Amino acid sequence: MFQIWRFNAMDDDNSNPFRRMSSRTRKVAPRMAAALASSDNRTHAALARLEALENDNAGIEQIEINEDSDASLDDDDQGYMQKRQSKGTKRKTRQAKALENARKAPRTFLELLNEASLESLPPHVPSYLKAAVGPPSSTSRRHFCTVCGYAASYTCVKCGMRFCSGRCQNIHNDTRCLKFVA
Amino acid sequence: MSSSFPYPDFSNVVVLDNGGGLIKAGLGGERNPSTVLPNCLLRPISSKKWITPPPATTTPNSDPLDLTSAAVRRPLDRGYLINPDLQRDIWAHLFTTLLRVTPSHSSLLLTEPLFTLPSIQRATDEIVFEDFNFKSLYVADSPSLAHLYEASRSGPTGRLVSKAQCSLVVDCGFSFTHAAPVFQNFTLNYAVKRIDLGGKALTNYLKELVSYRSVNVMDETFLIDDVKENLCFVSLDVPRDLHIARKTGRDNLYRCTYVLPDGVTHTKGFVKDPEQAKRYLSVTHGDTPSQLEANKKEMDQIEVTERSENRKREVDFSKNEFDLTNERFLVPEMLFRPADLGMNQAGLAECIVRAVNACHPHLHPVLYESIILTGGCTLFPRFAERLERELRPLVADDYQVNITTQEDPILGVWRGGSLLASSPDFEAMCVTKAEYEELGSARCRRRFFH
Repeated sequence: MFQIWRFNAMDDDNSNPFRRMSSRTRKVAPRMAAALASSDNRTHAALARLEALENDNAGIEQIEINEDSDASLDDDDQGYMQKRQSKGTKRKTRQAKALENARKAPRTFLELLNEASLESLPPHVPSYLKAAVGPPSSTSRRHFCTVCGYAASYTCVKCGMRFCSGRCQNIHNDTRCLKFVA
Repeated sequence: MSSSFPYPDFSNVVVLDNGGGLIKAGLGGERNPSTVLPNCLLRPISSKKWITPPPATTTPNSDPLDLTSAAVRRPLDRGYLINPDLQRDIWAHLFTTLLRVTPSHSSLLLTEPLFTLPSIQRATDEIVFEDFNFKSLYVADSPSLAHLYEASRSGPTGRLVSKAQCSLVVDCGFSFTHAAPVFQNFTLNYAVKRIDLGGKALTNYLKELVSYRSVNVMDETFLIDDVKENLCFVSLDVPRDLHIARKTGRDNLYRCTYVLPDGVTHTKGFVKDPEQAKRYLSVTHGDTPSQLEANKKEMDQIEVTERSENRKREVDFSKNEFDLTNERFLVPEMLFRPADLGMNQAGLAECIVRAVNACHPHLHPVLYESIILTGGCTLFPRFAERLERELRPLVADDYQVNITTQEDPILGVWRGGSLLASSPDFEAMCVTKAEYEELGSARCRRRFFH
């Protein structure tokens, strides 16, 4: 995914003006540079991790699931469904099929939420969005080591995850350090 | 059961608490739901078909289904119905084979989460009236039902729940957590506050922790559910407990081993040593380190044997088991401090305070006096104790804080629904199929005031 691993320092974007810098131009992959320029990546990674907390293990063959979307419980019914579908797909182009699948596939709640456009409601109407509890009153956050779970006093300079000791740092670097979050 | 029912005309009320995790279903007027089953379709790795899970109530005698690495499809996402087709299939199975009711002769009392989107309400109405042809429908929200049940339960003893007709229901379920003030059986929806964390997120979090630290269990939802239910507890003092959990050998009162199923002799995982799992109970609040030492000595005297085995910190991969230490209390901890997880949401205690503050000031003291905990997540040991400890400093001194736990928080809402279904006014509150056909979904929904 990331072809250029020559990059070795990431302190140039937040350096102070008095810092001595070499005049040599660094070679950085464009995608890498973009990744480093935006500070959002860590936020994105954190959000993705939170999003993953709502996942189900829905099996690997997602496409197959969409095809027998009715998930009927008895045998003959399913057989009938498959027969009917294979007959129908003969004439369909791949694009039409994909479209149909997309239409039939269950949408996530967030998609439904966007569709409902709750923002347009008048301010006094209670809605899903307004019921969210909101940010905590104190911004203090306890940090736990992502490796072992105990209180973590150090932050990974590359990805911002926490660890508590040199031992955990090594494990972190070897396993889940997201140096190139993109 | 129908003979004891005072309204023979309306004897068939199906009460359906359609949760994101479990469906609780039964007939109105009974004390317990006749069926509790997971609200999902499963596909075990051995099969190619999606099957409905066996009801949770009939596990001992029926052959245990091997749920190892089973794929799961749920009709509800974040608590709301997203896949009506799937839900219809599960309900069809429920009504025909488990409950054995004829929908066209029955009414349905259905719970729906607060703030359900209109499009989802329409889809639900379509299933109820057009696919199943129910005679009539009543849609309730779970906080008001939990309140109803508690109010009826505490009748003669004169608890405040019934006196003030008002309570604060904390529903900490599978998909999310709501703090909802209920006033005279109506949920004050403008004051409801929600944390987007529930049992599912906690299970997934534990799954992630165990997978990273010892064995890959990312596909074992049901196994980790079991681990969570049996081993997790709420910490009363996190720094102290972290300190204890860090100790080695016998001193560590929190270490506990869980044995994974091997697929041959047992298809379900189990706690290796239930005694070991219960040792955390010996740590009470205010224990000084010296007291802990004393406790530890007692424990040592009880079980002197097999201590050399525990010395080893490393997990033995060949044995198919894993150890839990700080995960046991750090997982439920997230409900109290979602910020630690990186969520920009307040914890449960603050959520309650905000919900109360959104109500009329006259209600504040009575709401704090009758906080009702319902939902599966409140089953974590010491949940109520911790909540009270966090809530007390946030509430004005002259208000009492009184937290009621339900004896069966998973069924609490259903029981409230059962009561409502057997009340004489129930029929009048329903929307009939004829009304639905004439007025449509949106106008019928106005009757339920939410």
